Amino acid sequence: MRRSRTVALTAAAAAAVLVVTGCTSSSKSGGSSSASGSAEGGSGANAATKGIVNASDKKGGTVTFEMKGTPDSLDPGNTYYAYIYNFSRLYARPLTTFNPAPGEEGNKLVPDLAESMGQTSADGLTWTYKLRKGLKYDDGTPISSKDVKYAIERSNYALEVNSNGPVYFHDLLVDNATPYAGPYKDKEGGLNSIETPDDTTIVFHLKHPFADFDYLVSAPQTAPVPQAKDTGADYVKKIVSSGSYKFESYEDGKQAVLVPNTNWDPSTDPIRKQLADKLVLKMNIDQATIDKDLLAGNAQVDLVGGGVDPQTQAQILQNPKLKASTDNAYGGRLVYMAINSKLAPFDNIECRKAVQYAVDKVSVQTAVGGPIRGQIANTVLPPDIAGHQDFNLYETKDNKGDEAKAKEALKACGKEGGINTVLSARTERATEVAAATSIQAALKKVGINAEIQQYPQGKYLTDSAGSPQFAAEHNIGLMMMQWGADWPTGYGFLQQIVDGRTIKPSGNNNLAQLDDPGVNKLIDDVAINPDKAARDKMYGDIDKKVMEQAVYVPLTYFKVFLYRPDNATNMVSTSAFSGEYDYLNIGTTK
Amino acid sequence: MFAYIIRRIIAAAILLLVVSAVTFAIFFLLPRLAGETADQLAAQYIGKNPSPEAIAAVKKNLGLDEPLYSQYWDFLKGLVSGAEYKFGPEPATCHVPCFGYSFKNHLEVWPELTKRIPTTISLAAGAAVLWLVSGVATGVVSALKPRSIFDRLSMGVALAGVSLPVFFTGALLLTLFSYEWPILDNLHYVDFTEDPLMWARNLILPWISLAFLYSALYARLTRAGMLETMSEDYIRTARAKGLVERKVVARHGLRAALTPIVTIFGMDLGLLLGGALITEQVFSLQGVGQFAVQAISDNDLPKILGVTLLAAFFIVACNLVVDLLYALVDPRVRLS
Amino acid sequence: MTASVTTAGNEPEAPAAASPAKKIEGRSLGQIAWTRFKRDKAAVAGGVVVILLILLAVLAKPIESMFGLDPDALNQDLLDADLGGLPFGDWGGMSWEHPLGVDPLQGRDLLTRVIEGSWVSLLVAFGATLLSNTIGTVLGIMAGYYGGWVDTLISRVMDVFLAFPLLLFAIAISTSLQGGAFGLHGLPLHMLVLIFVIGFFNWPYMGRIVRGQTLSLREREFVHAARSLGARGPFILFKELLPNLVGPILVYSTLLIPTNILFEAGLSFLGVGIQPPQASWGGMLQDAIRYYQVDPQYMVVPGLAIFITVLAFNLLGDGLRDALDPKSN
Repeated sequence: MRRSRTVALTAAAAAAVLVVTGCTSSSKSGGSSSASGSAEGGSGANAATKGIVNASDKKGGTVTFEMKGTPDSLDPGNTYYAYIYNFSRLYARPLTTFNPAPGEEGNKLVPDLAESMGQTSADGLTWTYKLRKGLKYDDGTPISSKDVKYAIERSNYALEVNSNGPVYFHDLLVDNATPYAGPYKDKEGGLNSIETPDDTTIVFHLKHPFADFDYLVSAPQTAPVPQAKDTGADYVKKIVSSGSYKFESYEDGKQAVLVPNTNWDPSTDPIRKQLADKLVLKMNIDQATIDKDLLAGNAQVDLVGGGVDPQTQAQILQNPKLKASTDNAYGGRLVYMAINSKLAPFDNIECRKAVQYAVDKVSVQTAVGGPIRGQIANTVLPPDIAGHQDFNLYETKDNKGDEAKAKEALKACGKEGGINTVLSARTERATEVAAATSIQAALKKVGINAEIQQYPQGKYLTDSAGSPQFAAEHNIGLMMMQWGADWPTGYGFLQQIVDGRTIKPSGNNNLAQLDDPGVNKLIDDVAINPDKAARDKMYGDIDKKVMEQAVYVPLTYFKVFLYRPDNATNMVSTSAFSGEYDYLNIGTTK
Repeated sequence: MFAYIIRRIIAAAILLLVVSAVTFAIFFLLPRLAGETADQLAAQYIGKNPSPEAIAAVKKNLGLDEPLYSQYWDFLKGLVSGAEYKFGPEPATCHVPCFGYSFKNHLEVWPELTKRIPTTISLAAGAAVLWLVSGVATGVVSALKPRSIFDRLSMGVALAGVSLPVFFTGALLLTLFSYEWPILDNLHYVDFTEDPLMWARNLILPWISLAFLYSALYARLTRAGMLETMSEDYIRTARAKGLVERKVVARHGLRAALTPIVTIFGMDLGLLLGGALITEQVFSLQGVGQFAVQAISDNDLPKILGVTLLAAFFIVACNLVVDLLYALVDPRVRLS
Repeated sequence: MTASVTTAGNEPEAPAAASPAKKIEGRSLGQIAWTRFKRDKAAVAGGVVVILLILLAVLAKPIESMFGLDPDALNQDLLDADLGGLPFGDWGGMSWEHPLGVDPLQGRDLLTRVIEGSWVSLLVAFGATLLSNTIGTVLGIMAGYYGGWVDTLISRVMDVFLAFPLLLFAIAISTSLQGGAFGLHGLPLHMLVLIFVIGFFNWPYMGRIVRGQTLSLREREFVHAARSLGARGPFILFKELLPNLVGPILVYSTLLIPTNILFEAGLSFLGVGIQPPQASWGGMLQDAIRYYQVDPQYMVVPGLAIFITVLAFNLLGDGLRDALDPKSN
């Protein structure tokens, strides 16, 4: 509808790939329920968070995806949006992926292009994957492990062209003796630390052990791209498909049409179904129209998966029949406020505690849209991330803030006279600004004067809040932010925002500039610990250590409110992707 | 006459060149005024997690570290002789007129921009027809019967029309006809060639909200112009000659009264063709205006430049056409 | 700034009062205009509303503090959190304490925010008008009076300005400077940027009008007389020509102000003008877009505020033009 909202929602859902496991996941991990995709969903509110709603094998029809704004790219090697991670699997198969099933099953990694999960060497430095037999592209040519290697090279080592995605492989894999310049500049060579001894084997050599490597290769960056067909930035117009659908047409910023890939062989693919005759992705539709289309069954999915507009939400909530077709799932994200621990007076922990106690979290929750849009948070790790532990170091009555304790902390900090600081938020995000306003009001009561300063979202991390120098120069002591993990483990969630060594002069995600030796060491230890249960416990420890430092004020655990049309089949909010529906097998009865 | 046309076209071309230079300078200087470094500029065009390597690579590839004049020169060169860009394994050719490649997604600007033009033309042309017909007709009738009920009523409505923000009218129309009484539900832009009826159906609300604003303006202008001309001597002469009133109005009165309207119409249409930003936003039409808004929010210089030049081109071209029409009709103009 | 314009709004009165009235003969042009203006009921009504609005804008802050109104005060107890933070009750949950209701998510009083928004809107509109009139008048007079290459140069510059897609530029400039520039940030920066982009790109319209008027005045007897008495350029420009241009400038200003109010609201609506939490009419409309299907109140309140203000200025401007220009009607 408006530019700001377009951008806001697009990026709001940008958070990351994330698993919603519920609080019980850690205790149940490794469970043996094997009802892959067979869990019969009932109906009613939240049914798709517990089972598959409208489970069906009916073929035919057109499934319409609509989205607000445009994605960063549909190119699997050039994207960082959770919904594209989700959607791209229809035409680009990564080595591993998440099981398209509800609840616990949906959070599980399953081999996709690979025939099994990775085999790691005893020292943890080598990971080997075997590809399935008989894999073909949509043009009928066979898929080789060399194309997987190439896909990783083009997405991690050619940043001048494919600049959108993360560069975990670049950071983790051993580089060549002379740093590898990427496939576009160095056409002869390649990255030596990825070996392809034959067409079905791929071997990765790591700089240091990394327990979450199977999660890393679930990124669309490992989906094969044939070097001969790679046209760089233009590849998005002619993507070669390895999945169950292929591109019939692509118009940038307008729409993409996908049709069944006839060279896709179901026997090589236990998780995809290829039900619909056609998938249409319409871009740049405003949210009110998308909501209307969903309610009327003209569209099956809101691709961004950020939930319906507030006004649609109110309509739905007042109508029990409509409400029965909704899912209110955790988005695997934390809404929080970072406290700049390098900026006086917040370099003093007592001043940070004053903020922790002063904030009225109920007011913030209402400002972001009530319990439907988020549960009140007291920890950094959301409940849907393995390793989450429930604790609250700064308890206030009903989470409404405690003026007395806050003033006490201010006194201990030597700032009884009050503090003047700046609270930053992103212009395009109406609810973030609203939350900031709530916080401003609460802080004012204890004598902390926070002036709200807004910055455009596109530059928030590069130029303003994410630039420590800028923050210091502009007295930005408090910063509004949201965070989701790149993969659904405590490591994937925490590392970027608590590891002191990730602090950068620009594009800094560790907004609090927390650099605590204890936290850093735990992060290092957890990365190489092969035991999952031990890792999960350590994530909880890290969370506690971070909260002891009082550098982050957790506000809410983000929730999405999705509407699922009656004529859409196989709807399941596995939440492996920020609470979105799983896009692999959606069909239609229309 | 021919020389006059040539002269005007050259002047228009120079004007566009100046516009492009000024645009370039403004967008080059603005971020620097706001205190951004080349690194920070480059970091905007990278995804969530810009690494120093990525920043360096992007900076070099986009030429952000080069001085202003050389960036501008490259742009001009591309415009008239095409250019080669390296956003992949092989250098790609960008054909004339090359407006360069998007900083954000590295796709060629010109084809993306031209795809948006039909939507904007549909919006502007439909609205223009509507407001010209209704505005001028109302103005004429009001002028012929000044102070009549019709005159007072229509001028009242016209005054309300020019006083309402177009986004308010638009949102109101949407509320009424798309949500309260959903007779115009499910509005998506459909191309004219695809289905002319759907095209018109889905554009009628944006047309009305734009036309409401403009027809109010035109009704007021026409009325004022008509009142003035109808009191001129030559009208009296025409009447004295025994001409039927209808002919007096049509042949003599209207013709003279419409002259200034045509000038203004040229300007208004030109501006609208450059993108009816707010109307497109309210009705989520993917026209030139939305392209511009997106380009600005992405800080995508080649796109901003392309869309500014396109908009300026429409303005200049429409004015040129109006002037040339005058020259054809009115011999006095040729002297100037 | 607002004060100076207040008198500008009453300008026709000044000359009338200046020449003490003889009932029958010797009415000055100002008196004639004033008589004519007074007869135009719509224009007088517009003028009265304009004066009231200006008073409201000037007194917005004192009114707020007198009645203890805070445009940013939260009333979240009036909101239904389970319904996504909408107020209990229709029409924004109107009540005696909140006659126009409160907004969603934060429960801020809409009436107070409309009052608060008035000074922002009017100050930006007046500032921008003043800026474009100053540039337009100075350059227009020079172009018209000196002619020759000065005229050519200024006219070409005006052509370039008129060829720019103004709204696009306004958005672009506001966007890039939003985060802070020239050592300024927050509301003062946003207002200055708005005044600049609206005013600076609008001056050629004024410039053309003044140039045209100057061209016709240049050859009038009193200018010749002044010149033959040895008056220099600047003197003639500002002492002889300018007073005769006051009429058209005044009329045009009154008509430009409403355009600028709409412009400011449009930019804030697009999210590049005044930033929340500062209340502004355009910003309130922007917020309303997400709720207008559920509750039109959020759209109607700021929409009406804009409508009434713009309408009043238009009525006043029309009336002034008719009064000062005997040829019309």
